[in-house]
Amino acid sequence: MSLHIQDLHATLENGTEILKGVNLDIPKGEVHAIMGPNGSGKSTLSKVIAGHESYIVTAGSVTQDGEEILGKGIDERSRGGIFLAFQYPSEVPGVSNANFIRAALQARLPKGEEIDAVAYYKNLYSKMDLLEMDRKFTARAVNEGFSGGEKKRNEILQMMMLEPEYCILDETDSGLDIDALKIVAKGVNAMRSPDRGMLLITHYQRLLDYIKPDYVHVMAEGRIVRSGGPELAHELEKDGYEFLKEPALA
Amino acid sequence: MLTTAPETPAYLPAWFAARQQSAWQRFLAIPAPKRGDETWRFSSIKQLDFSSFRKTPVSGANDLIARSTGLEAPAAKLVFVNDELVHVESRLPEGVICLPLAEALVSHSDLVQTHFMKQETRLGSAKFAALHEASLTNGLFVHVSDKVEVEGTIEVHHWIAGENTVIFPHTLVVTGKSSKVRVVDIFRSADDVAPGLAIAVNDLSAGQNSQLDYVAIQAFNEVTRVIQINETSAFRDASATGFILNTGASWARNETLSRLEGPGSRSDMLSVSIPAHEQEYDQRTFQHHVSEGAYSDLLYKNSLYDHARTIFSGLIFVDKDAHHTDAYQTCRNLLMSDTCEANSMPGLEINADQVKCSHGSTSSQISDEEIFYLRARGIDPVNARQLIARGFSVDVVERLKNNEVEELVLKFIDDKFAHISSRGA
Amino acid sequence: MSYDTTDVLDLETREAIDIDRTKGDFTFPERNKFDAGRGLTSATVDYISDVKNDPDWVREFRHKALKVFQDKPMPTNWATKDLEAIDFDIIRYYLSDGEKPKRSWDDVPADVLETFERLGIPQQERAFLAGVEAQFDSEAAYSNVKEELTKQGVIFCNSTEGLKEHEEIFRPWFGKVIPTGDNKFSALNSAVFSGGSFIYIPKGVKLKQPLQAYFRINSENFGQFERTLIIADEGAELMYMEGCTAPKFETATLHSAVVELVALKGAKIQYVTVQNWSSNVFNLVTKRGIAMEDAEVRWIDCNIGSRLTMKYPGVIMKGKRARGEVISIALANTGQHQDTGAKMIHAADDTTSNVVSKSISVGEGRSTYRGQVFIPKHLKGCKNNTECDALLINSHSRTDTYPAITVKGNQHATQHEASVSQVSDDMLFYMQQRGLNEGQAMSLAVNGFINDLVREFPMEYSVELKRLIDLEMEGSVG
Repeated sequence: MSLHIQDLHATLENGTEILKGVNLDIPKGEVHAIMGPNGSGKSTLSKVIAGHESYIVTAGSVTQDGEEILGKGIDERSRGGIFLAFQYPSEVPGVSNANFIRAALQARLPKGEEIDAVAYYKNLYSKMDLLEMDRKFTARAVNEGFSGGEKKRNEILQMMMLEPEYCILDETDSGLDIDALKIVAKGVNAMRSPDRGMLLITHYQRLLDYIKPDYVHVMAEGRIVRSGGPELAHELEKDGYEFLKEPALA
Repeated sequence: MLTTAPETPAYLPAWFAARQQSAWQRFLAIPAPKRGDETWRFSSIKQLDFSSFRKTPVSGANDLIARSTGLEAPAAKLVFVNDELVHVESRLPEGVICLPLAEALVSHSDLVQTHFMKQETRLGSAKFAALHEASLTNGLFVHVSDKVEVEGTIEVHHWIAGENTVIFPHTLVVTGKSSKVRVVDIFRSADDVAPGLAIAVNDLSAGQNSQLDYVAIQAFNEVTRVIQINETSAFRDASATGFILNTGASWARNETLSRLEGPGSRSDMLSVSIPAHEQEYDQRTFQHHVSEGAYSDLLYKNSLYDHARTIFSGLIFVDKDAHHTDAYQTCRNLLMSDTCEANSMPGLEINADQVKCSHGSTSSQISDEEIFYLRARGIDPVNARQLIARGFSVDVVERLKNNEVEELVLKFIDDKFAHISSRGA
Repeated sequence: MSYDTTDVLDLETREAIDIDRTKGDFTFPERNKFDAGRGLTSATVDYISDVKNDPDWVREFRHKALKVFQDKPMPTNWATKDLEAIDFDIIRYYLSDGEKPKRSWDDVPADVLETFERLGIPQQERAFLAGVEAQFDSEAAYSNVKEELTKQGVIFCNSTEGLKEHEEIFRPWFGKVIPTGDNKFSALNSAVFSGGSFIYIPKGVKLKQPLQAYFRINSENFGQFERTLIIADEGAELMYMEGCTAPKFETATLHSAVVELVALKGAKIQYVTVQNWSSNVFNLVTKRGIAMEDAEVRWIDCNIGSRLTMKYPGVIMKGKRARGEVISIALANTGQHQDTGAKMIHAADDTTSNVVSKSISVGEGRSTYRGQVFIPKHLKGCKNNTECDALLINSHSRTDTYPAITVKGNQHATQHEASVSQVSDDMLFYMQQRGLNEGQAMSLAVNGFINDLVREFPMEYSVELKRLIDLEMEGSVG
């Protein structure tokens, strides 16, 4: 049972290749982290897994518990258990957070079945309490006028509410002060479970002090170039990405 | 002047004579604007009786040549009095054709024919554009070859001299690939009392990746009427800037149309108008996005004194396939008297997808807080109002991004403000 | 004044007031006792006057109006050429069964009762309305107002009854806010009007619940020309709501109403419309209010149906500190043109007007905003704020904005802003990543776009509005 990425190649519409053969296996119960310099293809990888239509997959496969998901629609993948916490979450003007999450949950129910409003709010409030979010938040429009920290917390709240099987967190630490980072990490750690796989994408090692990964991978120029345990992150923190320039690793 | 067909001089090419003849027929055929025409909404139709005007030959132009001051060191300078060329000087680099139109029609007949009055006049004055085409005798023709950049500015003076004189100034500027040029037209009257009429056309064609800047300074006396028709085309990656300053004339009608013909093209449409007394400015604009991925930005500012009246009617028009258009339009009116009148009709017609468009229009007076702030710094209220009004206009002038031309425009603006305040407005 | 009725509405009632388009698409056989026939001549006008037993002044008014209608050209110099598709010669200008409006639903003929029951009108009346008038083709079939309001002097009846039995209140204002010659269609209405409401709210009376009119077209090629006059005396307040439906016929149907509102000193009138005509209806309506000193007129207007709607609700602010407002939502789907807007005429010092318009163009739909703001000389302290935002859903839709603002003198402030936007790909990706399909995501985005305006509608209508929009959006993507 894993999210398995095999020799994944993807290009932009203009033909520029961004992913040049990514191999990665994220079994349920494990937390993996991908680090790497800007422009290495980390964010692209997360979008391709989610099904973003700006990228064309030219080769390879992504299977979820053995089933191919490439070719499925964005929303179908989401309902199937893939969750992407966005680096830059989109604003949805005029739509309240409570209604938005409710609509997403409703989309997961069989036709004719309605969400129990009382249970929904009870659940929502308990998650919000964990993330130290004000109750007023439910009535605000999705991400509209949110600070960076509020947006990221909102992403984690949605993740907790939708209870996905595989979570991809794209640069969730960017733009967060240390207090916000701790809260976000608390939420993510609460989601760790033997039934759930996680992929953290980050530029800095800082996030990994609060969410301890089982494995760390380094991505450069569209490929995973190095994999190791949590100690690899510290190594990178100390020495930077300079080693990438060494020909031996290319 | 409106009864007999003008005659095309025999030395001009046959195609041009034929154009002038058919233009005259068109002028006769097109009905005069009337009340209820959308393109003349709020307009003073009565201003369109031009029957008393005629062409007047030049006598003694030396005084006007001396008064034709502008930039410190223009790249070229031409002076027209009643459409006759009376002075020319040039320091232009090779690869630039800058000639009186009458001469260019002979020496570069094909080139002129390719670009001469190509666009249909669609903002209301088709009849007067036809009259212009039938009647014009001279003008300016500029053609800049590929990759030639003109550093300085081509400066052209147009004078009206003599009672009830009509002129038909014509400016045609064409830029080749990756070239650059700037042209300034300055319109003035020889004296303050003789009524005049100008029906002007300027056609600007900005070739691929070129930069074409055009500035018109309209500072006729206050008994002159003006129709000015501007048509600009911007091709792929070209940038065209058009600026109109109105300080003169009793009545001025500007029809300004920009066609965005290629992706990456950009058109900046700018205007400052400062009407006072009974002056009336009637401005119609059209931002036509033919191509996808183009950008246009319009900013018109009016400061209205006394019984002044302005009309702004602007339309952003996005064609069916012009996706990814960015188009903006802003008209601001600063109301400086209790008897002025500002009319604004900012319009949008959007037929494409993934478009970002907005328009805004405001009319307001200088706020008491602004006056208070300046007075608290020791400035008297009259000067404070003048300073704020000037700042309101300067904001647009600064978008010309050329110090010398900005200074020249500001000089005309300051003359106007001095003229207004000398009467204690 | 608040009409929050959430607590009195159970789910069953909510479902009962469902007015979605499919629900309106049915018809009953005609059994008209009076039929003016097809086409419009002075004989048609006389026929209507005879049937209605008009007083002479009304008959004369109609004939003058007919002349104006015939002399005025179609406004195609600025409006859509689609107007030329109206064939005035095949339209039937008056159809009725000759019955007086009933005070009790029990007395309404069975098929008419069934029509309104299917549209949920009697249920709504019981749930939250102070009074209802239900018009079936040319005349009201039912008209009733709560007894305690009658005791307070509130008049709520149809226009025929208004002009005959309350002439002293009716006549001074009739045709004064909107003169016959205002436009071709106000002239047409003035010539052949029948039905519509007359309302008078006495001094200081503030209605706690809305009054409602429901306009139903049953017959093919029919033209409905109701005429409404509402007078709120000094300090009075009311909210009036109108709804409408028609079955979808192959041929064009014409609806051309005239609505005049008079808000005397300190009065407040809110007029709410949810227009959901079937897509063969030409809806050409003239609506204007006059607001005296400290009075307020608000038009809350939603256009979802019809083939072509041309409607520019206006307010003449005649008294100092009067306020005028237009809140407008338009949804234009394939085959529809919503040509709407607002007209704000400032005629006294310190008057304030506000226009907020949001339009959505879907498929090959077209929406147009036309606005007029006029602030004449010798006034001071007038303010206008106009915002119009358009949302385009896909590449074949179209949106236009044509405002005109005239300001004279320097004691005023006007501000106009308009924007056109799209539901961005990024936003769609984000919502789809949370599991919503494209239609659901689009629907959510559209509801978000108009959400702040929907709040201005009474609860019962806003629920309905959202449902109608979902319905429209579901069919429009994919």
